[in-house]
Amino acid sequence: MDQFLQHLVNGTVLGATYALLGIGLTLIFGIMKVVNFAHGELYAFGAYVAYALVSLLQMDYFVALVLAAGLGLLLGAAIEFLLLRRCRLENIDEVMLIMIGVMIIMQNAELLAWGGVAKVVPTPFPQESIIVGGIYLSPTRLFVLGAAIVLLLAFYLVIERSRLGLAMRATFQDEDAARIVGVNVSRIYTLTFGLGSSLAAITGALLAPVFVVTPTMGDLASLKAFAIVILGGLGNIRGAALGGFALALIEEFGAAYISTAYRDAIGFLVILVVMIARPQGLFAAKERVG
Amino acid sequence: MLIKPLYAMLLGGALLASQAQADDTIKIGVSQPLTGSVAASGTYVTNGARLAVEHINGEGGVLGKPLELVIEDNKSNPREAVNTAEKLILRDKVPVMMGAWGSTFTLATMPKLEEYGIPMVVETASSSKVTTSGNPWVFRISPTSMMEAQAFAKQLSSFTPAIKKVDFLSVNNDWGLGAAGAFKEVLESKGIEVGRSEIIAPDATDLSAQLAAIKNSGSDTIIVTSGVEQLTLAIRQAAEQGIKQRLITTGGSFPEPLVKNPGPKGYVSTHLLFFSPWTADQALHPQIAGAYMDAWEAKDYPFPGLTEGFRGYDAILTIAEAIRVAGKAEPEAIRDALWKVKLAGVNGDIAFHKEGPEGRESGQNTPNIYIIQLQDGEVSAL
Amino acid sequence: MIMRRASFLIIVVALALLPVLWPDPYLLSVVAAAGIMIIAAISLNLLLGFTGQLSLGHAAFFGIGAYTSALLSLGFDVDLGFSSPLVVEPKPVWVAFAGGIVMASLFGWLLGKVAFRVRGAYFVIVTISFAQVMRMVALNWVDLTEGPMALVSIPPLSLWVPGDGVVRLVSKAATYWLVLAAGVLAYVIVANLVRSRIGRAAIALRENEVLAKSIGIPVTRCLIVFSVLSAGIAGAAGGLYAHTVRIIDPDVFLFIYTITMVIMVVAGGKGTLAGPVVGGLIFGLLPEVLRGMVAPEVQWMIYGALMILILLFMPKGIVPAFGRVLKRRKISVRRRPSASQGASS
Repeated sequence: MDQFLQHLVNGTVLGATYALLGIGLTLIFGIMKVVNFAHGELYAFGAYVAYALVSLLQMDYFVALVLAAGLGLLLGAAIEFLLLRRCRLENIDEVMLIMIGVMIIMQNAELLAWGGVAKVVPTPFPQESIIVGGIYLSPTRLFVLGAAIVLLLAFYLVIERSRLGLAMRATFQDEDAARIVGVNVSRIYTLTFGLGSSLAAITGALLAPVFVVTPTMGDLASLKAFAIVILGGLGNIRGAALGGFALALIEEFGAAYISTAYRDAIGFLVILVVMIARPQGLFAAKERVG
Repeated sequence: MLIKPLYAMLLGGALLASQAQADDTIKIGVSQPLTGSVAASGTYVTNGARLAVEHINGEGGVLGKPLELVIEDNKSNPREAVNTAEKLILRDKVPVMMGAWGSTFTLATMPKLEEYGIPMVVETASSSKVTTSGNPWVFRISPTSMMEAQAFAKQLSSFTPAIKKVDFLSVNNDWGLGAAGAFKEVLESKGIEVGRSEIIAPDATDLSAQLAAIKNSGSDTIIVTSGVEQLTLAIRQAAEQGIKQRLITTGGSFPEPLVKNPGPKGYVSTHLLFFSPWTADQALHPQIAGAYMDAWEAKDYPFPGLTEGFRGYDAILTIAEAIRVAGKAEPEAIRDALWKVKLAGVNGDIAFHKEGPEGRESGQNTPNIYIIQLQDGEVSAL
Repeated sequence: MIMRRASFLIIVVALALLPVLWPDPYLLSVVAAAGIMIIAAISLNLLLGFTGQLSLGHAAFFGIGAYTSALLSLGFDVDLGFSSPLVVEPKPVWVAFAGGIVMASLFGWLLGKVAFRVRGAYFVIVTISFAQVMRMVALNWVDLTEGPMALVSIPPLSLWVPGDGVVRLVSKAATYWLVLAAGVLAYVIVANLVRSRIGRAAIALRENEVLAKSIGIPVTRCLIVFSVLSAGIAGAAGGLYAHTVRIIDPDVFLFIYTITMVIMVVAGGKGTLAGPVVGGLIFGLLPEVLRGMVAPEVQWMIYGALMILILLFMPKGIVPAFGRVLKRRKISVRRRPSASQGASS
C-alpha cells in the first residue's frame, strides 16, 4: 500500500496523455466514421518532429511543440484531402484498410528516414524529481500533465463554443441537415481529420522527452487509443477523455497489484468485457450499436 | 491464372541472374532483422559484418578470392527467418551463413541448416536451446545467458556493498526470461536471495508501475534485461522515481542515449557488456578492437553501435578463418574447419567446444564479459 | 457448369505438375509458403466476402490452429490448479492437426456468439482485441506454450504411401503438394458452401441485413455457421504452418498477418471464389519479387502503397475487374456481327 499514491500520480500523468490520444481518434470517428489506424503514426510523427527540431536544429522545445501540432494538422489534412475524399467514406471497411496502408507506409518511411535506433529528445526541465510526501514526480512529467490538461480544456472550448465546433457538432449529428443549413461538410472533414491528427502529433511531441522516439512507437499508441475510445464509446469525446484516465489507472494498478506481465493485455480485456456487457461504452447514455 | 506463370518467370529471371554471376567471390549469407522491432540491433550487427568483409578483402580476401555478403532481412520474425535461409541457401547458394540475431529466429532457421547441410555462425542468440538441441551445423560465438550469469558470479566480490537480495525486471521475450532464469539459478547457488520478478512487454515505454512495485521490496540490486530503448527508459525512470537499488543490466546491451542525455545527476548504473568501446584498451586484443573501432568511425556509424556491431565483425572473421582452414568454400569442409578454428577477435579468443547430445554436438565459444559503470554520461570500468 | 469444372480441374492438374516441370526447390518453398496464406485468405473470404463482416482478428484462428496442433503433437503437461496436472501424451500428427481445426472452430463459434452482437467498427475492434488477447495468452502462459521461447521441433506431417510405408512430408515437393491439396479442399468446401441454401442466405444478409431478417433468414445463426467454418479452415492453415515451418511463437497472432490475409482477399476480389487465390499469389509472392530490388523498408512501403491504390482504383478487386473486361469483350464480339447484319439487311 505504501506506493499507492505514487501509482495514482503515475497513472494520472499517463492518463492525461491517453486522453489526448483518445479524443483525437474519437473525434475523427464520431464525425467521419473513419477508424483511423494511422493515429499512432501521427503520434510518432509528432515525436520525430520534436526530435528533428530540438535535437538536430537546436530549436526551443516549446516552439517545437507548437510546430509539431501545426505540422500534424497539415499532414492529417493532406491525408484526408488526398486519400479519403476520393473514396467518399461510403464503405467503412475500405477506409479502414486505406488507413492501414497509410500506417504501413508512414512507419517504414520513419524507419528509412531515421533508422531503427531510438532517438532521445533532451528535456528543457531539471532532471531531478520533485519529492512531496515520498511521492516522486519529474518536472517533465508534471509539465506534460499540465499541458495535457490545458489542451483538453482548449479542445473542449473549441468544440462547445466556437463556430467551427458548432459546425462539427452539426455534422456529427446529421450530415445532410448540416449541409442544408450551409455547413461545408468536406471542409469540416478535412479540418476534423487535421485537428485529430494534430492532437496525436502534439501528444507525441509532449512525450518525446519522457520516453524515447522509435519508428514502432505508434503501434502501442494506436492500440491504447482504440481501447480508450471503446471504453468511452466510439465517437463520444467526453467519454474518450474519461476513458483515457480510466485505462491508465486500470493499467497502473493492475500492474502494481495483479501482474506486470499482463499489463498491456488489460486494455484488450477491457475492450472485450465492455463490448460484451456495454457496447455503447461506459460513459455513453445513448445506444450506439448497429 | 495468368498471374502465376508471370511471377514464376520473374522469380526464375532473378534466379538466373544470380546464377549468372561467376564464382569469382566467396559468398556468405547473412540473415539479420533489418526491419521490425529489433531492426536497430540487426543493422548494427550487419554493419559490423560489412566492416569485417572490407577488412579481409583489403588484405587480399580468402583463398585468393574476395568475400561477398548476401544480406537478407528476416523482418524480426521467425517465419521470415526460415524464408530468408531458404533464399540464401537455395537461390544464392551460399556455403555458409551468419545469423539470425534472436534465439527464436535462430531456432527457426536451424532445421533448414540441417536439411541442406549448411553451417551457420550464430552471433547474438543467448538461449541454451540453440546449442543443446543436437544440431551439428550450429556454431555460436555469443555467450548463453547461463555463461553470462556464471561470469557475473565470479565478479560478485567487486560490488560493495555486497549483493544480498536481487529483484528482476525482464523484457517478455526468450532473451529476457532466459536471462532472468539463468541469473536466478546462479545467484541462488551463491546464497543470494531472489525477490520480485517483474516483466515488461517488449514495446512498453512506461515502466513506472513496475519500478514503483520494486521500490520498497527490500532488495539491494535490480537486474534488468532488455534492449537499448527499454534500458534507457528503465534507468531514467528508476532515477526519477528515486529507486535506491543498484541497477545492473545484462545481455550486452547498453543504454547509449544516456551518454549524450544523462538522467538525474549522480545516478549510477552497471552494465555487463561483451565489448566496451569506452574501455577498449582493456580488451584482450586491443589492436583488433582498435582496427574495428577505426573502421566503424571511418564509416560514420553511430559510436554506441560498437557494442553490438562487433558481433557481426567477429562472426565474419570466424567464418573467413574457417574457409581458410578448410582450403575450399564448401559447406561440409567449412563445418569441419570451424571445429579447428582458433583466432583473436574483438571480444577475445574465439574457439569452439562441443555442446549438446553426443554425436550431434553444436559448437559453443566462451566469450569474455566486461563490467562497466555509467554515471552522468561518463563510462568507467568497474 | 461442366466448362467451369473442367477448367478448374485443368488448373489443379497444372499446379500439381509444377514440382515436376520446374523442380526448383526455392520456387516451390516460396509458393508453398504463399499457399498457406492463401488458404487463410480463402477462409477469411467466407466472412469478409460472403457475409460482409470485416474480421481483423483472423490471425487468432490461424494461431490457435497452429498452437493446438503443435502442442498435441508434442504433448504437454500443464497445471490447471487441480490436484494433479493435466498431462497430454504426444498424439499422432494428423490427430493433432484435426485437433487444431476443432479448437479453432470452437473459438470461431465463441467469437461469433460474442462479436456478432455488434456490427461495423465495433465488430472490427472486438476481433482485433480477441487476437491480441490470444497473443497475450500465448506469450504469458509459459507453462503451456513456452511463451516467447517458442515451440520448437514440431514434427512434420506424414503420409502412408503404398510400398514406402510412412513418409515424413519434409521435401519441398511433398510440402507443396500437401499445401496444394489442402488449398483445393478448402476451395471446394467454400465453393459448395456459398452455393448452398445457407450460402445464399449469407449473401442476402450481406446485401441487406434488415431485408434478410424480414424474410425470415436466421441472421445470427447463419453468421455463426460461417464463423465456425471460416475459423476451422484458418485453423487448418495454421496447422499446416506449424508442421511445415516447425517452430511457432506468439508472433503468429500479430496484426500484420491478419492484414496480409485481408489485403489478399480485397485485392483479389472479396466475395469471389478466385479472388483470394489471385490476390494471395500476388501479395504472397510480391515480397520475394521485391527482395533484393529495393531496401527492406521500401518493400513495405510499396506493399502499403499498392494496397491503397487497389482500394482507391479497384475497390471490387482484380478478379471482378478482369471479369468485367472479359465480359465486355465477349459482348462487343457478339454485337459486331449483329450490327453488320443490321446494316446489310
